[in-house]
Amino acid sequence: MPHGTQPDSIVVQLNALAGGLFLLSTFGMVATRQVQGCMRFFILQSVFLASSAFLLGLQPLSWHLIAVAIINLINKPILIPWLLKRTVSGEVYARREITQVLNIPISLLVALGLTMGAYFFTSPLLRFAEGSSAVVNLPIGLATLLLGAFTLTVRREAVPQLLGLLSMENGAFFASIAIAPELHLFVELVIAFDVLIAVFVIGVLTRAIHEHIGTTDVGSLAVLKEESSR
Amino acid sequence: MIARIAFNFAQVVVVMLFAPLLAGTVNRLKEMVQSERGPSVFQPYRDIWKLFHKDEIVSEQSSWIFRFTPFVVFVTPVFVTLLIPVLTSYPLFFAFMGDMLGGGFVLALGGFFATLAAVDTGNPYGPMGASRTRLVGFLAEPVFMIVFFTVSFVAGSTIPYIVQQHWVSPIANFFEPTHVLVMLAFFMLILAEGGRIPVDNPSGHFELAMIDESKGLEYSGPGAALMMWGGEMKFFVLICIFLNVLVTPWGLARDISVHELVLAIPLVLIKVLVFALTLVAVECSLAKLRLFRIGEFLGAAFVISVVAMTTWVFAI
Amino acid sequence: MIVLAILLLPLVAAVLCWISAIGRRAAAPITMMTCLILFALSARVVFRVIAFGKVVAVPDWIEVDALGALILLLVATVGVMACLYSLGYMARTTHDKSLLYHYYGNLNLFIFSMLAVPVVVGPSVTWLAVEFTTLLSVLLVGFESSREALEAAWKYAILTLTGASIALFGFLVLFWAMRQAGGGNYTWAGLESVAPHLSPVLLKTAYLAILVGFGTKVGLVPLHTWLPDAHSQAPTPVCALLSGVETTAVLYVILRLMPIAHITLGNGAERWALIFGLLSVGVAAFLLIQVHDYKRLFAYSTVEHMGIILTAVGLGGAAAHYGAMYQILSHALTKSLCFFAAGAVLMATGTQEIASVRALMRTSPLAGSALLLGGLAISGAPPFAVFLGEFAILRAGINQGHYLAVALLAVFLVVAFFGILFHVNRMVLGQSDEKMATLPRIPLTCSLTLFAAAFPVVALGLYVPGFLHQLLIRAAAIIGG
Repeated sequence: MPHGTQPDSIVVQLNALAGGLFLLSTFGMVATRQVQGCMRFFILQSVFLASSAFLLGLQPLSWHLIAVAIINLINKPILIPWLLKRTVSGEVYARREITQVLNIPISLLVALGLTMGAYFFTSPLLRFAEGSSAVVNLPIGLATLLLGAFTLTVRREAVPQLLGLLSMENGAFFASIAIAPELHLFVELVIAFDVLIAVFVIGVLTRAIHEHIGTTDVGSLAVLKEESSR
Repeated sequence: MIARIAFNFAQVVVVMLFAPLLAGTVNRLKEMVQSERGPSVFQPYRDIWKLFHKDEIVSEQSSWIFRFTPFVVFVTPVFVTLLIPVLTSYPLFFAFMGDMLGGGFVLALGGFFATLAAVDTGNPYGPMGASRTRLVGFLAEPVFMIVFFTVSFVAGSTIPYIVQQHWVSPIANFFEPTHVLVMLAFFMLILAEGGRIPVDNPSGHFELAMIDESKGLEYSGPGAALMMWGGEMKFFVLICIFLNVLVTPWGLARDISVHELVLAIPLVLIKVLVFALTLVAVECSLAKLRLFRIGEFLGAAFVISVVAMTTWVFAI
Repeated sequence: MIVLAILLLPLVAAVLCWISAIGRRAAAPITMMTCLILFALSARVVFRVIAFGKVVAVPDWIEVDALGALILLLVATVGVMACLYSLGYMARTTHDKSLLYHYYGNLNLFIFSMLAVPVVVGPSVTWLAVEFTTLLSVLLVGFESSREALEAAWKYAILTLTGASIALFGFLVLFWAMRQAGGGNYTWAGLESVAPHLSPVLLKTAYLAILVGFGTKVGLVPLHTWLPDAHSQAPTPVCALLSGVETTAVLYVILRLMPIAHITLGNGAERWALIFGLLSVGVAAFLLIQVHDYKRLFAYSTVEHMGIILTAVGLGGAAAHYGAMYQILSHALTKSLCFFAAGAVLMATGTQEIASVRALMRTSPLAGSALLLGGLAISGAPPFAVFLGEFAILRAGINQGHYLAVALLAVFLVVAFFGILFHVNRMVLGQSDEKMATLPRIPLTCSLTLFAAAFPVVALGLYVPGFLHQLLIRAAAIIGG
């Protein structure tokens, strides 16, 4: 919303607030060491996503978006942690990462750079979004997408890598509730289902890795290469 | 005109009087949370009284800096009080003498002298604590700057009285993401500059782990009283800036009348009490960070403040 | 109706396999029968499409046109061959036979997901189908539970799902662009009808996001790093499915986007396809010279061929598009033969290293000749189908005037040709150093599959049946817009 025009309604401001906190929880995922911490920030992120969908569905009233908000609220903060706890053993869940690819302040600075990069990428696109809430949601959604990919690369443990992946999808979703709100409800339901299946499959894979290899430090798995002399 | 000058000095008196009360309240609340009785809320007053009546011992090897510092540390928060809104929402007489950046520099002057004094005596723990304080201070500088700049961008001015008006008028402005993020960054900054957990343990006695406390180690008598009181006032001043400018710019006197001013005092104290409760909640639920992790903490505060700036500049 | 049956059948089979009471005994025969029926049904769909132009099952949701029918037929064909091969291969190589029903159940689900990709017409539903092809094959890739297999499965899952999220963003921007241009149905046909009005900025963003995102799954350089690992560590029939048809199915989605991008962006769309395509062919050709593992050799060859197909589409023109379609067909069949042969070699010698395998022609003639045939065919030797496809593409490119691109492509193809044959020759021909004990014989079903796979590879190079030719021409027309 350009400055100098009349002040925005409270729903629009609350949506912007939800967007800011959504972005902040993604930063939290980059900066935390504990697996549990990563999970908590992911839950926060999903709650803010659902609240943004809810707020956008209030004005103008759209039951579709409110349904999307409810689906997401059940799916991500509740079902995913439950499913993950069941498929991955408790020991993996309590891990902390001591060795990191990049130390935390530098990771945070890179994350900041990626956020600004996302704003620059989307500025030519935002010409089409004047006056709608896509001005907030699109850059933040793309920023979360990039930050999720960044989390994937700097994390070595299995579960935070999975959570980075899920936060990428959260980011794409955050953008979609503003730019593609009329996506068919059936498709939204199947996407929610697909996220659950992804968590299940990767959870089972993590358990297999834990059982057969003994550690979930997947960043250190690097056996398959051309250069290794056999 | 006379009223404005008078009210300005009234602000200073209020800050001088109630700063030790804040320190006592926070200590008492912390002890209560830990299910202990804790010292009386007025204990800091008794400590200051007792210290003023004791002899002062000053090392022969120390220079004029050591003798001069307690006065600097005491007076700098007083100067800053003249600049910020403590009781009133309209600018007072000295309000335009300096803006928030100037206020920040004045507070930093006090810290600078305290650090020099800690090095002055040759006590081994002094320089150690001084270097750690400088570490925290230098990491916190960028956060200060960015927060001030963001707030100035938003309000179009750097004078605290004018900034405060911006967040008050339409209520929707309170929920602006910039505002929330700036509040969060400044809160983390207060924890760092005030020497609270998770950055430093204010009630620790172990010199090897001290960061902020070490500046007062060598002082005795009135010098120690001034250092202690000055430290408490600095903390109170930071909180006033936080509360009256950023968080709850309500409850301040609107008209030039003694009646409103007197009414504003308990309101401000209530706000400070709520902040104290929040502070105690935060302090009792976190653990002190290892020294090199402080960089991560302040890095996170920096990132939050830059995101606040970004969301404003890109016009959300 | 048939299309719905095609989609439902593998789901039912999967459910039956997972019910352990039935599954432990009958998982393999159930899967085999399902695949045979699927093959018959797909063939019928192909003939219907040739006759009527399109088969509509659920309007605006599930429709099959010529391009979709081609992919459908290829999935069903490679599926039935992989299933037949699995019967013998899994029985021979799995340590814990009681878990085999997991394998067959997963296989059914994987084939379902690959069948779903060409038949659904909404881009978002297509994205979902591609997601499912990844998710349902991750556990198959890691089935052998060795350290390498699990590492490969992890990299596969994470990298491909990352790409899928980027592609999701692209699809959402595409939806947005369509809404901005006036709306309509969010289907491929609907997008094509509104294409002249789409904003180029939005479409370019969407196109690049989808190209990069799904390009990860197709194996385009520089996002191909998971492919050699996943496609070599999976059990051999799964490798054949992954390399032969799964990458092709995802490339199909990118190809669907091309006519729309062409209308809106002009030659820009083709230029990006050309860049990525040539990069993939080049890097793969040079990387496959230094492999140690023959399955990785064929995996790099998959990257190379995906690059060739994308280059063909990037060169533009009806002849190049036909060449691309033909290459899709020939690559699917030939690559599955290569992997089946590789599996036979693995069963015979027990090792995946190239350096440890010598003189196959003497010690295990069936495996040796299959490998030689597959190697010759995939590297582009005449008179096999792959050679004809590559030649057609080169010629079409020269006619279009892209001399530099064609020259680069020719050089890369020659490098790949020598690379593959160098390794295959070392393994197959020559004298055996030690006295090799009689190597175990290859199971009957595997031999049958080898013959069944070799036959079209040899025949297609000499003669293309009329109905296939029709199918390819119509599919090329769809890409041409």
